[in-house]
Order: sequence, then structure tokens, then C-alpha cells
Amino acid sequence: MGRYLLRRLNLFIATSLVLIAILFFATRLFPAELNYALSGIALPTSEQQLQIQHDFALDKSTLRQFFAYSAERLSGNFGISVTSQRPVSGELLGVLPASFELAFVAGLLALIVGVPLGVISALSRSKSLQKLIMAVTLTGYSIPVFWLGLLLSLWFGVQLGWLPISGQINLLYQIPKVTGFMLLDTLLFDGTYKWAAFIDALQHIIMPACTLAVLPFTVVVRITRTAMISVMNQTYIRAAEARGLSNTSIILKHALPNALIPLLKHLGLMLGPFASYAIVVEVIFSWPGIGAWLVSGIYQRDYTVIQGGIFAVALVIIFFSILIEVLYTAANPVSRKDMYGTN
Amino acid sequence: MPLLDVRNLTIELDTPQGPAKALERVSLTINAGEMHGLIGESGSGRSLLARAILGIHDPSWKITADRLMWDGKNLMDMPRQERRSLMGDEISMIFQDPSGSFNPTYTVGHQLLEAIPKGNKWTFWRHTREKKLLAQKWLHKVGIKNPRKVFYSYPWELSEGECQKVMIAMALAKQPRLLIADEPTASMEPSTQAQIYRLLTQLNQLQNVTVLLISHELDTLSNWCNRMTVLYCGQVMESGPTAELMSQPNHPYTKALLDNMPDYSTNVRHKKLMPTLPGSVPALRHLPIGCRLGPRCPEARRQCVKQPMLSHYKDRYFACHFPYQDEVDDDDTLT
Repeated sequence: MGRYLLRRLNLFIATSLVLIAILFFATRLFPAELNYALSGIALPTSEQQLQIQHDFALDKSTLRQFFAYSAERLSGNFGISVTSQRPVSGELLGVLPASFELAFVAGLLALIVGVPLGVISALSRSKSLQKLIMAVTLTGYSIPVFWLGLLLSLWFGVQLGWLPISGQINLLYQIPKVTGFMLLDTLLFDGTYKWAAFIDALQHIIMPACTLAVLPFTVVVRITRTAMISVMNQTYIRAAEARGLSNTSIILKHALPNALIPLLKHLGLMLGPFASYAIVVEVIFSWPGIGAWLVSGIYQRDYTVIQGGIFAVALVIIFFSILIEVLYTAANPVSRKDMYGTN
Repeated sequence: MPLLDVRNLTIELDTPQGPAKALERVSLTINAGEMHGLIGESGSGRSLLARAILGIHDPSWKITADRLMWDGKNLMDMPRQERRSLMGDEISMIFQDPSGSFNPTYTVGHQLLEAIPKGNKWTFWRHTREKKLLAQKWLHKVGIKNPRKVFYSYPWELSEGECQKVMIAMALAKQPRLLIADEPTASMEPSTQAQIYRLLTQLNQLQNVTVLLISHELDTLSNWCNRMTVLYCGQVMESGPTAELMSQPNHPYTKALLDNMPDYSTNVRHKKLMPTLPGSVPALRHLPIGCRLGPRCPEARRQCVKQPMLSHYKDRYFACHFPYQDEVDDDDTLT
């Protein structure tokens, strides 16, 4: 197990290095002065110019420049944003929690609704129910998320007026930032309008989370269904039945854990598409997360924001896909079977 | 009253070519305390019969039976849940595929504990501990050398033979009244095989566990069983006490089986053909009508296109229109 963890850590470091290298070369292709693209300072004074030259080793060889670039970026110096004139790293820390909050709620929603539905569609003997669930998931899988988001905000936000269509919370509420997660912050907030603010934050998150949850939800249902069907045909389910266990305990204790294993693996593979969907959803619902921030940076040709945003998003995806793989190995005794007897 | 009484059980499976009768009018009577052998080639529906008795069949199977009685209770019209718990308490089964019969995500010990009945003689804080000790005692009893280590192992860490032994321990831990052993020694070395059979016999004799032993090895079965039922292609051919069956088979198929047993005592010519029935076992979608042995049977005649009913003579049962009877002896006395 120790060797396995070391190998995963190694994979993480190597992938991150490749990511930094790609960013390093892409920065040189920006249609702007190199020191402007690196630091975000449009009209540097001569001192600033010297500082930038020194920090990024601009007068040295490309290799030295790469090392200097990596050192700067990894120590948190992403330059300043051209539009806001504030450090990119600070802005990044401000928008990341909102994105995590949205992604977490959407993922939770997809799992809580998707897993039981997948189990039901696998176990139900009525063909029409199975077909209905499959048709719904296939529709959800093929609906473009930007269209769905616009449609939802048109129906529930504009025509029915049930839910707010943009932002994280109503501007009336002044909630101090503690964790960055709005739902948590409203709960931690100690004031007269604590619960009103919490409910308002909850209402704000419903529509973006539902929109974002559609894709993982459909995948979860389909994977759970196929895995469950194949598990229920195994001999050990027959053996458990022969031991006289009840149906519920067979499904919950013997079938479901085995069916969730392939699901976990697929969740890891789905992180990339999920992140790009999250960016689109954030733009549609003006969610103050990293996606909306990155897209506005792209529109404004804010080179430092683009670099910082891409770096953060890609690093998060790499980290979580490796984390899921490690979790998969840790949670699943069967995957340890491959390692059994080899090292 | 027999412990298990199956009369004319038919199982229809859905195949792409339409429904096929995998088992046709199978009758099986098992008395309490006996060791009953069920012999048949692979594909003859032995495991299907076992699963139908236990009620762990696939929902797509169509099962009909004139009678399916367990100790005076009719299993056919018993609610599913009641039947499941009754079967769990009173019948245990040793499955054919030992390593596949364990959930790979739990240790075998965890699954063994599920099979141990709730005893209320222990106070609750010692319950788990006592249960574990009991489980390890069972493991030791079936011939596992380090029960503690095996108890905490995952099924894929054990060899096939060890899995089989744990499976047997699991079946025994319930202290069932009937034990269905579906090829219990399929993946074991001969010395362990004998050990397992001895264990089964011991249980049968000391604890009065009825055993239904399913196998394809006629010579081993004949060593350990009191009675035998011969199955061919989903039909019962013959049933009766082992000794009589072996010395005087009534049915052509049983006779063929006995003749096919290699005899090492006499000198056999080099590359001499072994005596076998002509042809091979028909596939499920090309089943002959009537007696399924018909096309291969040396005694087949026109009547054989009708399935013969199971007729009995003293305590022997056979399903054949032209059985081998004791006529030869009578002829001898006449001359």
C-alpha cells in the first residue's frame, strides 16, 4: 500500500509539471509582451520592470526561465489582474470555495437521487418502469446543459418567479466570509437574519445545482444499473439467499457495495466533463465561482487571470482524479487483489 | 413421512428458441437421516434441481410440481420470505463454485458469521466473541489448519480448496436438517476429498443430518450413499438403494454407467475402445421427445417416444418401458 501511495504521489507531481510546462509555453504565444503576460502590469516602472526580469529570469536561458516560472507560480505569485489590479491569487481564493460548494451540492444531489434510482431500475421486474428510467436518463444525458440552464431560469425564475436566477445570495444580506461556502457561512453567521439568509442561499443554489447535477445523475443511474444487474447474477448472491438472509439485507450488504465500486471509478473519469459543465453553469447563473471568473477573464484578455484560472482548475481535476483512484483502491478490497502477492 | 418429497417437478427455462424443459417430471424422495446421492452428467440439471428445492431460482424460470413438500409443509404455496427463512434455518447448500460463492468485498469470516444462528445462551457483551470462536471452531472442524488467519482473509486470498472448506463450514454452522452438497469436492486433492466425505458421513451418523450429495462420480457416490437417484438430461432414470442399484441396475442408463466404469483388475488391450453409449447428450434446444435416453438407448423401441412414468418395484424406482428385471435368474432355475 505504501508503494502504491508513493506511485500515485509521483503521478500527481509529474502531471502537474507537465501542466506547468504547457502553461509556460502557452504564455509565450499570447499576443502581448512577455513581461505583461506574466505579471499583468501594463505600464511597469523601471523598478517593476527589473523586478519582473529578475523574478522570471527573462534574460537567462529558456530552461532557467521555466524553473523561475514554476517557482513563482508554485509560491503563489500569479501576478495581478489587469482589470481589477488586485493579485490573482487572492481573487482565486475568493472564487474557488463558491465553485466547490456548487460542485459538491450537485454531486451529492446526483448520488443521492441517482443511486437509489439505478438500484430500482435494476431490480424492478416491470419492463415499462425500466424503460421509463432509461429514457429519462438518456434524455438528460443528451440535453445540452447551457440550453437546460436557460430554460430552467426562464421557467422557474422569470415566468413562475419561484427561484432567484443569479448569484449566490441576495445582496441585502451582509454575510462575513469565514469558510467561503455560503451555506456554511450563513449558518455560522450570528445575526438576526441568519435563517432568512440561509434559506435565501439555499434558494439560490437549487437551480444551478440541479442543472449541473443532470449529467452526473444520468451517468450514476446507468452505471449503478448495469453494475447492480451483473452483481445480482453472481453466485455469492445465491449463496447469501441460501443462507436465509432477507432481500433488503442482501441488496444493502452484499449487492450495493459491489455495485458502487465501478461507480466510483466512473466518477473519477467524469471529473473533466463535470468541470467544464460547471463553468458553463456558473456563467449562466452568474455564480461567483472560478468558472464565471475565468470566462470573464478570457473576454477581457486578462492574461494573468486566464493562466491562474486554468492552472487552478486543472490542478484541482488532477488532484481529485488521483484522490478518487486512491479512494477506490482503499475502499475496495477487490482492487487490492491485483496487488496481492505482487509487492 | 419423507423429509423432502418432490413429485413431478418441471422447470422450464426461457431460451431464444422458446421455452425448454430443463427438468421434466423429476421425482425425488429423501427420508430423514439418509445419505442420498444424485448422480448425473454435467448439464443434466442437478444444480437446477438443488436450486429449485432451495427456492433460490431465477425469477424467469417456470417451475411446476405436483408436490414439493418439506417435512409436511408445502413449499410451493409458501410466501417467498417465509420460505427463504425456513430454507435458511433448515437446509444448507454447498455450492459448486466455491470462490465465486463468497462476496469478494467482505472477509470470509464476516460471511461465516452471517450463517451462525443467533444463540441466546450468551450474554450480549460476549455475543460477538463467542460467535467468532464458534465460527473458528467450525473452520477447524472442516480441516482448516489455521482458522484464525483464514477467518480474517478475503476469499481471493484463499485457494479454491480452502474456499470450499469454508463453504462447508458455513453450511454446517447452521446445523441444518438437510445439507445439499453440490460437488463438494470438485476442486480438492484426493486426501482432502476423503476427509470431506468422512466429515459428511460423520455428520450424517452422529448428528442425523440428511445429506443430498450431488456428483458425477459414480464410484465415490456409491461408497458414501445409502440411496441414489440417477438423472439423465433432466429426467429421472432410476432411484433406489445403492447396493441393489449397483448389483442389479434396472435401467439401461444405469447399466451403461456401471459398464463404463473402468475396471483396472483385468488386462485391457492397448488402445481398446472403452464401452460407452453411442452418441452424446442432447443439447437443451434439441431435446428428444419421450424418454430422453431414447436415441442412445440399446433397448429403445417404439413406445419410448412416450415418457415412461416412474414405476416402482419394492423400494426401487425406475422410469423405463423395458427395464432389466430379474428374469434371468428365473430362467436359470427353469433349465
